[in-house]
Amino acid sequence: MLELRNLWKSYDAHGRQKHVLRGLNATFMRGDAVGILGRNGAGKSTLIRMMAGIEPPTGGEVIRSMSVSWPLGFGGAVHGSITGADNCRFVARIYGKPAGWVESFVEEFAELGEYFRLPVKTYSSGMSSRLAFGLSMAIDFDCYLVDEVIAVGDARFTERCRIMLEERRRRSALLMVSHQGELLRAFCTTAAILHEGRLTFHEDLDQAIATYQAL
Amino acid sequence: MDGSLPGQDRALRPPGWAQPVGSRLVAALRVQLVVLGAVMMREIHTRFGRHNMGYMWLFFEPIILGGCIAMVHYISGHGLPGGLEILSFYVVGYTPYYLFRSILNRAATALLANAPIFYHRQVTFLDVMMARNLLDCAAVMIAVLVMLALIGAIRDVWPVDLVWIAFGIAMIGLFCHGLSLMIVAATMFGVETVDRVVHPLTYLTIPLTGAFYMVWWFPTELQEWMLLVPSVHMFEIIREGQFGPVVPYHYDIPYVLVSCAVTNVLGMLALRVAKRRIEFT
Repeated sequence: MLELRNLWKSYDAHGRQKHVLRGLNATFMRGDAVGILGRNGAGKSTLIRMMAGIEPPTGGEVIRSMSVSWPLGFGGAVHGSITGADNCRFVARIYGKPAGWVESFVEEFAELGEYFRLPVKTYSSGMSSRLAFGLSMAIDFDCYLVDEVIAVGDARFTERCRIMLEERRRRSALLMVSHQGELLRAFCTTAAILHEGRLTFHEDLDQAIATYQAL
Repeated sequence: MDGSLPGQDRALRPPGWAQPVGSRLVAALRVQLVVLGAVMMREIHTRFGRHNMGYMWLFFEPIILGGCIAMVHYISGHGLPGGLEILSFYVVGYTPYYLFRSILNRAATALLANAPIFYHRQVTFLDVMMARNLLDCAAVMIAVLVMLALIGAIRDVWPVDLVWIAFGIAMIGLFCHGLSLMIVAATMFGVETVDRVVHPLTYLTIPLTGAFYMVWWFPTELQEWMLLVPSVHMFEIIREGQFGPVVPYHYDIPYVLVSCAVTNVLGMLALRVAKRRIEFT
């Protein structure tokens, strides 16, 4: 279970407090596939970073009683100046997985060919998201936080991501943030809208998308 | 990314986690060591790459610098008070000073250079600083060892007590580690600002560090002031390890230990206060 309790995030902008998130409450369970819709600057990425535990909230708390991934976004978690393979070994080590196994899993999934043994800074953005996504799949989390990563890949990659996440649905939760309603349809069953610092849940995906587009 | 050990993170616990406190501490320490080891490996790869003799640069850099400084003083031909061997005097002075400078000068940009690593919540700022500084410390120890072996072979001047030299270098590392945490904490006011202040400071404080002279060369009144600087004691310890009881040395072990403890505790406290405001992405 991943629980948000009265979560606040405020920034200091030119001496004035700007409240990005104003007291969010939510509970996510295994098997959930929730899309979070929000405009640019609505605080989607901030929210996902706080759920991942890499950014401290200003108030309230995030309670993680299942293993939660890092935010899967455009690269992000992978380091540019070392190779894809070295990134795999590093991540495997800190999450306590066999390095060799993770390396071969990602090599097969990401289909990077010889680039797998070259520094990540030589990759295209599609290639680094394939690496990052494959890496997160190799670690096997209970809850995946996805920040529009899939949108950068080509159709074949998007489809493979969808299939892989579908397989995990029975044991893992999926939280995906996006500013495009249509993208969520392929992956999510329910949705919430993040608007003016508040989160509103909708049981019905179509209804959520319609409400979001009317904002 | 708080100060707690990564092992205490719920997300990392295996299912059905319920163990007595003792084994939980052991597990937390184990995670800490695993993270530290992984960050060190990665640091080697990011700094030196994987190809050719990448790793060797870790030692070459201090060896080349330390060796050149020592050679310049040797060639210039002036003697040292007490008749100390000149090459080894500058090797055990300059190379540990290189550690001092590299830890402090690289601290301000350490987090920026490692931004992607903090996507993994079990990796803390402290882990990254510890990994980098341990690596630097090990590199300098090996560099000193290599150069002293060479000098021994050429000039037949051998170190008297290697453990004592290593202890002195370790104390410099520990002292600077604490200072580096304070520098990282100060980056909450802006990385560039801190970087611009730290570089001239490490340069201007060279005469104060005690790397290139001995305390007994100076009048007693001045010695008292000099010995307020903790690193002066540490360099004296290293020189005693090299030359043994042929000249007088001035140092105070409790003072050294306390000053290391002070910089580390203050550094960790500062980091704790600042960590929410540090921007590293």
